Amino acid sequence: MVKPPHAVVRCFAAIALLLAASSVCAEGDGASAKLLRSTSDHTKFKVLQQDFASGPEVTRACLTCHTEAAKQLRLTQHWRWEYLNPDGRRLGKQNVINNFCTSVASNYAYCTTCHIGYGWRDASFDFNVDENVDCLVCHDTTGNYRKAPGFAGQVVTKDTEFPPGSGNLVKGVKLRPIAQEVAKTSRDTCGACHFYGGGGDGVKHGDLDSSLASPDRDLDVHMDALGNNFTCATCHMTQGHQVPGSRYAPTAVDRGSARLRGKHYKTNPTTCQACHGQTPHKPAVAKLNDHTDRIACQTCHVPAYARGGVATKTSWDWSTAGMMTADRKPMVRKDAKGRVVYTAAKGTFGLAENVIPEYVWFNGKVTYTLLGDRVEKGPLPTRISHFEGSADDGASMIWPVKVFRGKQAYDPVNKTLAVLHMAGTDDTAFWANFNWEKAVAVGMASVGAPFSGTVDFVETESMWPITHMVAPAKKALGCADCHAARGRLDKVSGVYIPGRPGDHAAWLELIGAALVVLALAGAAIHGVARLLASRRRKG
Amino acid sequence: MASRACWHHGGGKGDRVSRVYIFKRFERFWHWAQAALIIALLVTGFEVHGSYRLAGWERAATLHTQAAWALIGLWVFAIFWHFTTGEWRQYIPTTERLDAMVTYYVSGIFTDAPHPFRKTRLSKHNPLQRLAYLLVKVLINPLVWASGLAYLYYNELVAAGIAGPGGLSLGVIALVHTGMAFLMLAFLIGHVYLATAGHTPLAHVKAMITGWEDLEEAPADDAAAAPRESSSAQGATP
Amino acid sequence: MTNRMLHLVAISALGLGLQALDAQAAGSDWKRGRVYYQRVCTECHTAKAGGAIAPNGRTMAEWTAYLNADKHAKGKEPLKKYVSREYRASVKATNKAAEKYLEVPEDQLFEDIKAFMLKGAKDGDSPASCS
Repeated sequence: MVKPPHAVVRCFAAIALLLAASSVCAEGDGASAKLLRSTSDHTKFKVLQQDFASGPEVTRACLTCHTEAAKQLRLTQHWRWEYLNPDGRRLGKQNVINNFCTSVASNYAYCTTCHIGYGWRDASFDFNVDENVDCLVCHDTTGNYRKAPGFAGQVVTKDTEFPPGSGNLVKGVKLRPIAQEVAKTSRDTCGACHFYGGGGDGVKHGDLDSSLASPDRDLDVHMDALGNNFTCATCHMTQGHQVPGSRYAPTAVDRGSARLRGKHYKTNPTTCQACHGQTPHKPAVAKLNDHTDRIACQTCHVPAYARGGVATKTSWDWSTAGMMTADRKPMVRKDAKGRVVYTAAKGTFGLAENVIPEYVWFNGKVTYTLLGDRVEKGPLPTRISHFEGSADDGASMIWPVKVFRGKQAYDPVNKTLAVLHMAGTDDTAFWANFNWEKAVAVGMASVGAPFSGTVDFVETESMWPITHMVAPAKKALGCADCHAARGRLDKVSGVYIPGRPGDHAAWLELIGAALVVLALAGAAIHGVARLLASRRRKG
Repeated sequence: MASRACWHHGGGKGDRVSRVYIFKRFERFWHWAQAALIIALLVTGFEVHGSYRLAGWERAATLHTQAAWALIGLWVFAIFWHFTTGEWRQYIPTTERLDAMVTYYVSGIFTDAPHPFRKTRLSKHNPLQRLAYLLVKVLINPLVWASGLAYLYYNELVAAGIAGPGGLSLGVIALVHTGMAFLMLAFLIGHVYLATAGHTPLAHVKAMITGWEDLEEAPADDAAAAPRESSSAQGATP
Repeated sequence: MTNRMLHLVAISALGLGLQALDAQAAGSDWKRGRVYYQRVCTECHTAKAGGAIAPNGRTMAEWTAYLNADKHAKGKEPLKKYVSREYRASVKATNKAAEKYLEVPEDQLFEDIKAFMLKGAKDGDSPASCS
C-alpha cells in the first residue's frame, strides 16, 4: 500500500510552489503581476469608461458595484472627523483646537481638502450623502489624484483660476484613468493627507512625512520599499473600511502575544506586539526582553524622528504673525537651509530634522484643552493635549513623544482658546487682512462661542506619539543611551535605571565612599608606619 | 620559645624555618579565581552603577553578568569542598587571642614583635581573619548573591508577584547590591593590604600561590605528614 | 545637436511619448520606477555626477526626448546601459534596488522609470520635486 505524501511534505511543496510563483510574478512581467493582483480589471467596467466631471460622479459609479462601501465609510472617523473620548468629551478634527493651524471650524473649505469627502464647506455639510464619499483619495494608484486647498474637498476637473483673479491656475485632474486604476490603499494615498498634517510636509507628526512614500531600510525597516514594503494598512489592518490605530484611541500598553491566524482578537492590531509579541529579542540579547514590560518598543526602535530629510515643525509662535516688509508686503524669513521660519500669515516656526523625542509615561489616556476650557497664563504652558501616566499606575509604559510648543491666540477675558478664521477670501480672514480681533470674532461666532473682543497669546503644548520611522535593530538605541548620566530617560522618574546617577541613594554613596576611603587611608597609614618602623630598626 | 630570630632578618636562614603545606590546590585555585572574578565584578559593577565609564555600559553589564555566573559556579564548588573536607571549620569564630591580634596590628607589627598566631593546616586563619572571612561568607556573599539574582531576574519576580509596584522594587534590590559592593571593596582593600603583613611583604602571597608557608620554629615532624594540633601551635607562640 | 534640432526632436517625441504613456499606463509600474530612479539613478548622480535631478526640472517633452535619444554622459554611452540586466548585476552587491529588480526585463523597467519621470515632470500629472 502506497502511503499518501505526508501532510507536512505536501504543505512544503505547496508553499514552495507559491513562493516560486509569487517571486516570478512579483518581479516578472507586469501583465501577469497585474493579473494576480485582483479579480477585477477596472478598465473593463463600462461604468468607468466615461469622462467624469466631478468627484461625486465617480463615487456614484463605484457604488454601483460596491453597494455598501459608502455606508461603511460614513461610520468612520475619517468621514466624521469626530471621536468620543472615553472621558465623554468630543474630540476629532471637527472639535479640537490644536497649536498648529488651530481649528477646522470657520476654515472648512481649506481644511477639508483632506477630508475623505466632497463639499464640506461649512457646518451644514450633510454627512448622510453617499456620493459625497471620496473613494479615489484612498484608492488611487496613479499618484495623480489631487485635491486643491480652498475647494472644500472637491476635486478640480477643469483648469481653474483660484482664487478668482489671482492668476494662479489649479490644474484639472483627469478622473477617468484614475478611476480605472483603483486598487488597495498605499503609503502614497494615506500619505497624501497624513504626511502633510499641520499644513505641510512632515509639519505635524514628525514621524510621518513624504520620505515614507518610498523609504529605504534605515528610515523604516517595515516600509522599506525594497524590503518589507509594508503599506499603512499592513499594520492598520482595516476591515470594512474601519481603520484601527487612531492616535485619538491609542494603545499605550499591549500585553498580548503575537497574533495567530484564525484566532479572534478584539484589541488594536496596529501595535508592535500584535506581530512581535512580548519577547521579540533574540537569545543573544535576551536581557532586552526584560524591558518590554515598561518601555514601549518605539522608545528604543525609533531613535529619532524626521529622519528622512524632511524637517518637522517643533514650535509655532502665532503672536509674531502679521509683520510687513518696508514696501508693505507680508514678510517671509528663511533659515540658512532655505526653510521658511517666518511668514506674516503664520508667525515664527521652529524646524528640525533627526529630532530626539522626549519621553513620558503613557497609559493611553490623553487629556485635551478644548474650546471653553479655562485657559490661564501662568508659569506652565497650557496643555492642548497631554499624555497621562506614571511609573506606578500599573498601566503605563515609557513612550517617545513629540512635544510641540506653541504660542497661540486666546481670549484673556473669557479665558478660553480662540477659534481663528484664518483662510478665506473675505476681509475677516487673518491671512487676508492680518487683523486678529476680526479673525477671532468671526471664528468664535462660527461656533457660537462668546468673544470679549480682546486677543492675547498663551503658551501651549501638545503631545504626539512617535511610532513610525522604525530603524533597523542595529540602529536602535544602545544600552548606554539610557543607562548613563544625562541619558535619554534622564527626565523620566519613578523607575530605577542602573547607571543613572540620579537614581543613587545619596546616603549609601556617601557611606560607601567613606568606607572605601577609610580602608585605603588605614592601609596607607599603617603601611607607611610599618615601613618607617622597619627602617628605624635597620638603621 | 621566642622565635623572632629569623623573621625579616634573613639570619639563620633555613635552620629554624620549616615549610608547611597550608593551602591545597583547589583552595589556591578557588582563591585566585575568586579574586579575579571579584575584582572584575567590582570594576564592571561600579560602571554599571554609573560611577564611571570604562568598557561601555553594555559590555560592562555583559561581563558583570558572566563573571557573576562564573563566581556562583565557583562558590557552589567551594561550598561543596568546604563541607566535604571539613574546611568550613576554619571559619568558626573565636574570641581567643582576638585581642592579641588587634594588639599586634596596632603596635607589635611596628616593633617586630612576634606574630601572635601560628598557621597550621587545621587553623589557617588568625582570629581576625576568621571573623572577617565569616562576615564575608555569611553577610556579604549571600546578600550579593541574592540581590544580584533578584536584579537579574527582576522581571520574573514581578511576574511572580514578589516584586513590582507596591512590592520589592528594583531600587531596593540595587541598593542592597551596591551596599554589599562597597563592603566587598572595603574588604578587598583591607585584605590586599594585610596580605603584605607576613614576615616578608610577599610571604602570604607566595604561600597562596605555592601552598607552602614558611613557618619558623616548626616541630621536627613533617608538616604535611602529621598536621599539628592548632591549640599546641598557637600555644607555641607567646 | 543644435537647439532647433532638439526642439524638433522634442516635439515629435512628445506626440509619440504621450501616446506611449497612455498605452503603457496599465503595464508600467511607476512606483518601481520611482525606487529605481531614487536608488540607482539619483544615488549615482548625487555621489558622482554633481547632484540629484528632479523629475520636475524638465517638461514631459524634454524627458521623452531624452529617454528616446538613449544617450548618457553627453552621448558617450547609451542610457539603457544603466537599466540593463548586466548593469544591475554589476552593482547588485552594493545596490539593493539593482539586486531586488535584477530579474525585471529591461524594457519593463525602462517603462517603469519613464512612467515615473513623465508623471513627475514640470507639466506632468503630479510634478515631483524630490529626486
